[in-house]
Amino acid sequence: MKELFQIFISTVLIHNFVLSYFLGLCPFLGVSGKEKSALGMGLAVIFVMTLSSSVSWLIYHFILVKLGLVFLAYVVFILVIASLVQIVEMFVRRYSPALFKALGIYLPLITTNCAILGCVLFMIARDYHFWAAVVFGFSGGVGFLLVLLIMAGIREELNYADVPWVFKGASISLITAGLLALTFMGFSGLLTS
Amino acid sequence: MMNIEVVNLSFIFSEGIKGLLTLGTIGVVFSVILIILNEKLKVKEDPLVEEILKVLPGVDCGACGFPSCKMYGLQIIKERKLNSFCKVGGREVTEKIANILNIKVTPESSFKMVAVVRCGAEIGEKKVSTIYRGPKSCRFAHLVGGNIDCKYGCLGLGDCVDVCPVGAISIKKGKAEVDIKKCIGCGRCIEVCPRNLLTLVPVLVKEQQEEKLSVYYVACNNKEKALYVKNVCSRGCLGCGICTRTKNSPFYLQENLAYLDYKRKADSKLLEEIRNKCPTKCIERNES
Repeated sequence: MKELFQIFISTVLIHNFVLSYFLGLCPFLGVSGKEKSALGMGLAVIFVMTLSSSVSWLIYHFILVKLGLVFLAYVVFILVIASLVQIVEMFVRRYSPALFKALGIYLPLITTNCAILGCVLFMIARDYHFWAAVVFGFSGGVGFLLVLLIMAGIREELNYADVPWVFKGASISLITAGLLALTFMGFSGLLTS
Repeated sequence: MMNIEVVNLSFIFSEGIKGLLTLGTIGVVFSVILIILNEKLKVKEDPLVEEILKVLPGVDCGACGFPSCKMYGLQIIKERKLNSFCKVGGREVTEKIANILNIKVTPESSFKMVAVVRCGAEIGEKKVSTIYRGPKSCRFAHLVGGNIDCKYGCLGLGDCVDVCPVGAISIKKGKAEVDIKKCIGCGRCIEVCPRNLLTLVPVLVKEQQEEKLSVYYVACNNKEKALYVKNVCSRGCLGCGICTRTKNSPFYLQENLAYLDYKRKADSKLLEEIRNKCPTKCIERNES
């Protein structure tokens, strides 16, 4: 239990996917314009990340390792992630049109989100057991949502700020992202191994 | 030597077959799951949506206020009313949609919107006392005060030309001109003009010849008093108010500048009469 909690805290705050591994930067900058869409994207990522890390764990340990085909991991993981995203999209479209409307555009985007593949590969590299892998995937998504929401909040405020002409648009958001990453470095002493 | 190579080859071969089979099986399993789920979880859509989507231009420009043509179609099917209308398709598309849904077209919803340039002065008519040698962009020229004396007029460097998605704007004799037949009323040129000269106005469709479009507008944006306007331009609006004094005139004055109120009905005869009365000829007609 303690180990799972440690994994959660460390993935959400200390080794955040976006701000310390710089994974998933494309949606991080692309979808963080408005808080509403950021929330939708973050929730979708949590969902897909948890599912894909658990399913990938099962496939990796029960098929690839047993058959000695570990070198196929990358291809298989991409396959798993893409199919899972499709399945999730179908389910959401069928059973919750409201959620589909909110997530609709972001669900297919997740397929190419490198944070998901990164999460799966880290989980394999760190030799997590099954429940640790599930928690790792979930907390990776939570970390992504957290950072996306913070960024969206700041960028919404930035719209009203008097930004110098040269910094307007993409440059100020990248500067903001950099400062945010520096701030998150402050969490690095939170857990002692 | 020979032996080792043979062993290696067969090892690679068997390993490759194993990999291919595994990958293929996983792929097939996932695709079968996807196919089954796709059939089972199909969402039934209103057949009207497809019909309306066929009629709509499908460029997802967002000018109607909805993110895509599909969302717009869903909304009008839900409301059964044309509260917003497709600016790109104009009258034709609106009528087709109304036919599909069996509803009446209100006059507001059948207007096509086009952009007009509210400056009609050509080279020679606007005074130039400086030489501008900067980048060929209106926004640059506007930063340093412009390449003409008038602080409101068209700079003629063509930022709007570059941004127009259908190539409807061209620079002729030092001013921007809109080909209203090509214009789809998307409004991108409005954002780019540093002097805010472009506006969207509804087109007057002549009753019998529907293909002929014409639009009247005040081709001046100078809000200064007549004395200043005369100093910088021979085509500027002086704010004399002659156009407002005809009976039933849709024109009105504001800040020394005449405006045309498009909400008030006026036929082309009346507008033409007023146009001829303007002392500086700055009420213009754009025809196609």
